[in-house]
Amino acid sequence: MADPILQVTDLSGGYDPVQIFRDINLSVGAGESIGIFGPNGHGKTTLLKTLSGLIDPWSGDIRFDGQQMNRSGARGSRRWQNFNYDAITRRRMDPKTVARAGLIHVQQGNLLFPELTVDETLSISTRAASGRQGWSRADVLGLFPRLSERLVHKIRFLSGGERQMVSVAAGLLSAPRMLILDEPTLGLSPKVRSELCDAIVTVRETGLPIILIDQDVAFLERIIDRLYLFDHGRISRVMERDEIPGHEGLMAMLFGEVT
Amino acid sequence: MDPITLFSIIKGGLVLGALYALMATGLSLVWTTLGIFNFAHGAFIALGAYVAWQFASADAYGLPLGLALAVTTGVMFAIGAVIHFLLVKPFERRADVVLITVITTLAGSAILENALLLIWGPRSKQIPELVEGTVAVAEFQLAWSEVLLLVVVLAILIGLGLFLRYTRPGRSMRAVSQNREAAQLLGLDVPIYFALAFGLSAVTAGLAGVFVGTIRFMNPAMGAEPLMKALIVVIFGGIARFSSPIYAAFIIGLLEAFSIYVFGLYWAPAVLFLTMIVVLLIKPEGLFGKYQRTL
Ligand SMILES: Nc1ncnc2c1ncn2[C@@H]1O[C@H](COP(=O)(O)OP(=O)(O)OP(=O)(O)O)[C@@H](O)[C@H]1O
Ligand SMILES: [Mg+2]
Repeated sequence: MADPILQVTDLSGGYDPVQIFRDINLSVGAGESIGIFGPNGHGKTTLLKTLSGLIDPWSGDIRFDGQQMNRSGARGSRRWQNFNYDAITRRRMDPKTVARAGLIHVQQGNLLFPELTVDETLSISTRAASGRQGWSRADVLGLFPRLSERLVHKIRFLSGGERQMVSVAAGLLSAPRMLILDEPTLGLSPKVRSELCDAIVTVRETGLPIILIDQDVAFLERIIDRLYLFDHGRISRVMERDEIPGHEGLMAMLFGEVT
Repeated sequence: MDPITLFSIIKGGLVLGALYALMATGLSLVWTTLGIFNFAHGAFIALGAYVAWQFASADAYGLPLGLALAVTTGVMFAIGAVIHFLLVKPFERRADVVLITVITTLAGSAILENALLLIWGPRSKQIPELVEGTVAVAEFQLAWSEVLLLVVVLAILIGLGLFLRYTRPGRSMRAVSQNREAAQLLGLDVPIYFALAFGLSAVTAGLAGVFVGTIRFMNPAMGAEPLMKALIVVIFGGIARFSSPIYAAFIIGLLEAFSIYVFGLYWAPAVLFLTMIVVLLIKPEGLFGKYQRTL
């Protein structure tokens, strides 16, 4: 395998003082996509937030495109943090820097900016591109034709599916080198859902690496090369796409045989 | 009440309303964007007046007024941004940031006011009238300075509204105020937009101070009373949208002018507070308010 675009080594983290995940190792090659599958509340979203710098990792390393994303240095004790100016003000990871490097995180249930219109949202979403060429506004409107009719509407008046489309569109305008999608199809009606899935497959076909979290195994199989099984904050199993045993099988792996 | 008295009360109310609108907008800009309350806003008002005096007054540099105002705008913006980086930014990631910044901005206010005292001394000063003369329609008299104040304030507020709505930095600032995390994930530099909000807020406060400085004598604590009024305006009007404190400011201004006429100078503040309490009892989120803070 060529140099991986994302390399996560022994990553642990959580919401201080509660540890949510530990010892995560992931490696995604250029042009590869991976999936993460696991039960609700086990810390998948927390892991993704750590990858994109929204919360600081406790230990371990995140390298993206050969660049170290987290500043090294041991985590200070909690008591010390309260007095240490440095620990208060300096992040060990900065989401803006991660985004500008091209690792773009589309959040779960993203509410985006409720009072901005779709048009306004798209107009400010190119900052992370930092001069990289990528998807243009016309491209994303071509991908999500529904949004063209909704340009002047405020985000808070959109349906869940449309909002998810705006989130993905904003991510694409950031000229991603890798896209993180956290349960993009959660709670959508079948029609909108299949529209969104098809659009994400189209994005995948451009060769863009994706980290996808989803509960729908059939959809995962359309996107990913490899699946990581996530269980109580750890990766319990890694399997290639053709080894995935289907939804029932995955559930059995997670919870033991149910008869 | 004869028409001339009525006219002059309304005129007084509009002038007050315009000043309050300018101050309250700055206050709510920082509140909606950063989610903190800036108690140094009153000191910004005084600072703007002194800086403008320094550049405009014949006793000091004596620059032409337009130039002095431009310089004041620049200085206020820079000071606002610096104050943000000194007093707010270091505590941004703490859970108790709202409380901490109450203390730091109060401290900043005390330091600024004493610096004014140290630099310019206790002697009262006044900024020369921006324009002289009056315009009269029939028996209704209006000073050009009052016309100028109304026009300039409206221009600033409309300009600010257009900036927030149509420019990229303005839209990005609103995005940051509505969802900090999502803004960061799109690569927006949150501290820069916070500093921008603080800078713009300081500019509006400073310009309000300049107008106050032409109407009354200046002293380092001159911002305290306007800050209180701006606070009433913000609470009274709510902050659902950019324009809600502006409407509220004119309502409060007119109310104050009428209650001074009817109840006298001493009772006017009591009437204002009473009105505010009644409004908040009926509509706790403010007259035009909603519960979330958005820009
Ligand atoms: N801001 C927070 N502060 C403290 N704990 C949190 C916070 N957000 C989430 N948690 C807790 O962290 C744990 C992991 O949550 P997380 O959202 O990462 O799980 P998940 O695997 O993404 O679940 P889901 O499938 O429901 O999205 C949960 O127990 C949750 O209650
Ligand atoms: Mg989740």
